[in-house]
Amino acid sequence: MARANYLYVLLFISACAIFVTLLFRLRAENFWKRFLITDVVVLAVYVAWDYWAISRGNWYFDKNQILGIFVLSKLPIEEILFFIIVPLMTILTYLALKKLTGWGTREP
Amino acid sequence: MTYSDVALNAVLFAVLFDALILRTQMMTRGIFWLTYGLILPFQLLTNWWLTSKSIVMYSSTQIMGRRLAGAPIEDLLFGFSMILFTLACWEFISQKINSRTPAPRE
Repeated sequence: MARANYLYVLLFISACAIFVTLLFRLRAENFWKRFLITDVVVLAVYVAWDYWAISRGNWYFDKNQILGIFVLSKLPIEEILFFIIVPLMTILTYLALKKLTGWGTREP
Repeated sequence: MTYSDVALNAVLFAVLFDALILRTQMMTRGIFWLTYGLILPFQLLTNWWLTSKSIVMYSSTQIMGRRLAGAPIEDLLFGFSMILFTLACWEFISQKINSRTPAPRE
């Protein structure tokens, strides 16, 4: 289904997130609280940037390859999901590598 | 401002935010660069999918024109900015929350 073409990328990253979490048995105290606060800040900054860039026509989307649900009338819902899933994957990668290497665990 | 300017500003913003405002100093930590190095090929893969199928298109007047894995190289700057900003916020918030956890009583 072509309309889900953008969504497929997000599903792929989500699958990676689940895989990494299970593989490394990641656990972190207050994980979701910390992630929620982090992502609210990331969303505020990068969605604003994205909105501005889309308004100016810096980039645009193929209407046949997105779900067609828009936030604030011009942001495809996939873009919002992108700014949730990518930061989540970034943090999971960071935690997994910390666990794997032992680096950064004694830093301030 | 073109996307090139925006992307450079995004990097500058994240670097200053990390170094001066949150003082998380992510850029001085090996673990940060290791994380970035691992995410980078996945960003290129994502970019390739999104651009080779023309799901996302870029205005040619707004970019330098040099491309990597289908996407303008500006995307790398924007991606770097987001990874740095995300991890700086994560570390900052983690420190705050951990320091508020009451110490065990003696």
